Amino acid sequence: MVRILHIWLYKDPAPKFIDAETQKLLKSITRLQLDKIFRNRPNPINTVEYKFMTTEEIENEVKKAFTKARELLQMPPIVQVEQANCQVISKDPGLDSYSNCKYVITDITYGVNDSERTIVVRQTDGTLETADPKLRKRINQIYFPLQNRHIRDPRMFEEENLRGCLDRHEYEFVLDRMCIQFEPFEQKFHEISSKVYLHINETKEFDILRSTRHFGPMSFFLAWHKMIDDLVIDMIKRDYLTNAVEVICLMYNLNGIEYDKGILKQLEQFTSSFESREENGFAIAKKGLEKELNETVGKSIEQFKIDEASLEFIDAFCKSHAIKKIQLTLCLQMYKEGNEEKKRLLEGLRKAHGVS
Amino acid sequence: MASRILFSSSKILNSFSRLSITHQIPSNFRRCDLLNPFSLNNVPSINSVRHTSFFNKLSADQLWKGCTSVSNAGKKRGRARGIGRKKDLNKGQIIGVGKTNIVWPGLNAPIVKGRELVRQQKLPDNPDWEANLRKIRDTMSEFRSLKMNPLERGWTGAKVGGRSIGPPDPIGQNTFEGFDCRVLEMKLVVVMKGTLGRKRRQSAFVVTGNGNGLAGFAVAKSVEGKAALRKAKNRSAQKLVNIELCDGHTVMHDFYCRFGATKITVIKKPRGFGLVCHRAIKTMCEVIGIKDLYAKIEGSTNVQHITKAFFIGLLQQRTPAEIAEQKGLHLVEFRSENGRFPKVIASPTACRESEDIPGNEVMDFKQYMMNDRVIYKRKKYPPFYTKHRSWEIYCRRQEKIRNHDKVKLDMHLHYGEIRSFLTDKYPECRPPSGKAKVVESEAE
Repeated sequence: MVRILHIWLYKDPAPKFIDAETQKLLKSITRLQLDKIFRNRPNPINTVEYKFMTTEEIENEVKKAFTKARELLQMPPIVQVEQANCQVISKDPGLDSYSNCKYVITDITYGVNDSERTIVVRQTDGTLETADPKLRKRINQIYFPLQNRHIRDPRMFEEENLRGCLDRHEYEFVLDRMCIQFEPFEQKFHEISSKVYLHINETKEFDILRSTRHFGPMSFFLAWHKMIDDLVIDMIKRDYLTNAVEVICLMYNLNGIEYDKGILKQLEQFTSSFESREENGFAIAKKGLEKELNETVGKSIEQFKIDEASLEFIDAFCKSHAIKKIQLTLCLQMYKEGNEEKKRLLEGLRKAHGVS
Repeated sequence: MASRILFSSSKILNSFSRLSITHQIPSNFRRCDLLNPFSLNNVPSINSVRHTSFFNKLSADQLWKGCTSVSNAGKKRGRARGIGRKKDLNKGQIIGVGKTNIVWPGLNAPIVKGRELVRQQKLPDNPDWEANLRKIRDTMSEFRSLKMNPLERGWTGAKVGGRSIGPPDPIGQNTFEGFDCRVLEMKLVVVMKGTLGRKRRQSAFVVTGNGNGLAGFAVAKSVEGKAALRKAKNRSAQKLVNIELCDGHTVMHDFYCRFGATKITVIKKPRGFGLVCHRAIKTMCEVIGIKDLYAKIEGSTNVQHITKAFFIGLLQQRTPAEIAEQKGLHLVEFRSENGRFPKVIASPTACRESEDIPGNEVMDFKQYMMNDRVIYKRKKYPPFYTKHRSWEIYCRRQEKIRNHDKVKLDMHLHYGEIRSFLTDKYPECRPPSGKAKVVESEAE
């Protein structure tokens, strides 16, 4: 735990996280599942609206929904912890012991960014200096309150209470509330998020976060610390082979390990087909938000080819960089057997239909 | 006693004969010795016993009438109040069972048990027997109204309206499983007959349904209330109509319907809204299987008219497929619970393009379904008291303390007590709690 936080403190993850290739990989790993993003949630006023629409209008609406889904999946950034630097503006010994309390002077002009707002403190000894981040956050919250953020940290984030939340697998709730309460450059943000990610890695409940905005940062965290084995196993079990390959590539990228980048190009074709669902918006709107069927039932020959290439790549990872080698090999073997059977079935079908 | 003198005054004897107990004199009178100086002090005593009275001459019914009835004139003066009620003293008594616990073969026990002959024998007394009998008799004296669950008492409890009267009677093989009948109206109706004059009858208006879209209603009259209910119940079961429900919980769409002077506007509502409408409509919805709906009645609230208007409206509903076909456009649903993701509910066989839609066509779904009728929503005015001066004063006073409850809760959460920024320096700087106040007042 301590080791992990040190890395966040001394090596800035931000450039790697913001990098276009990493972002692309993270987005692909997250998987945009409409049924999960637009799942039923409690809301104060439950309304149902009906509209008459042409096919074109429906397609536009679905496009809007996809845009909204992408917005909802926007990942909170992973950046280095900010160090407090208070600059002394002036020292006026004449004001020493003028008052027995500090004075905080805030610029409350409308339209100034919270991070750029001028907040200075007149200490009791007459020193005038800029406020430290802790004080800045408090003062900003007092004058310009953010909804649902509290001045004191919610007790949910205390060690004992947090453990209870995690044991109940309420990962998304904890992470969402953490994003409201803390800024990404705060120490607490990293402490809590790493605790949650490690707990998920321990319980292997990756699916809870899949298709939420926290799946990307979690994968980034695990890849950064080279502990992706359980995540890869989970992905293979769920038949998300391309995602497994992407996680491994991400791990190689973040840790500066050389590998053949040809595999990603090969996968692009498949992922692009997953992304291009938007094109037939009407069919999606017609189907509604029923759980998407696993596509493995009707795999095409091309998909089998990609599967083979992916398996080869994962095999190479298993031999060279994996930590849980035995479990991973076992999982791969089981997957291969299942896939073989499906392939045989497909070939039989093709023969029966007279397709060579 | 040594010497005995017969008490033989003719006067006394005559009086005995009038009492018709002369034959008992020898046994019932004690003889006293008049010559005995000691016995002179003892006044001769007579213990009279009557073996006949109106208790064994009159029948039980006559006796009960004597103590439970009041004359008509007396009733009017309120003398019937608090008078006892007739008890059936035979209740709880079994032949052969009594105070002494005896086995009587052939009466309260079998004659032969196995191969042995059962003999008459006395068993130890049952101490509870008399207490049990008294308990049974006591329960008869109290008046008990029919105990009913508050949920089953109907709308008010005073009248039958809204009460459930069970499923209709089975017809042949059809047992009407899952059906329930509810009384909507039960009233006295009067008609003038040529020979009988004013003839009174009970009129019952009943709705029946299986809670899954099948429902019917009927009215029936009879001299007896029960008979009217039974007739209406069975008649309503023969007038069932099928009503389509949306997802099994509400109506297909908003609609407006009327019957006579009763006009109803029905609004479709999402799950969890409940039934917000007239009690008769609510009862009908429960029987039909509608769980969420808002309805507003305008005009007359005659229950029979409400029912007819509501059923007409329900039967005139159109399915989404029909609506889409008539309009030539897709019908799309947006639910706030899932973030307004569009879902196509129904599509026409050939959908129109945006160029084919004339500019003046009604495109609003609600307006289209209500036939251009707009629901009148009254403007909500601020309550009367906000114009009073006292309200201003109240608001001014509240301003200081408006957030105290939240702050108190927050303090309890973070410090476990209510305190101020001075509490650390001055420990006595704490608001007095309820307990502390009591102690202080005692000390004084």
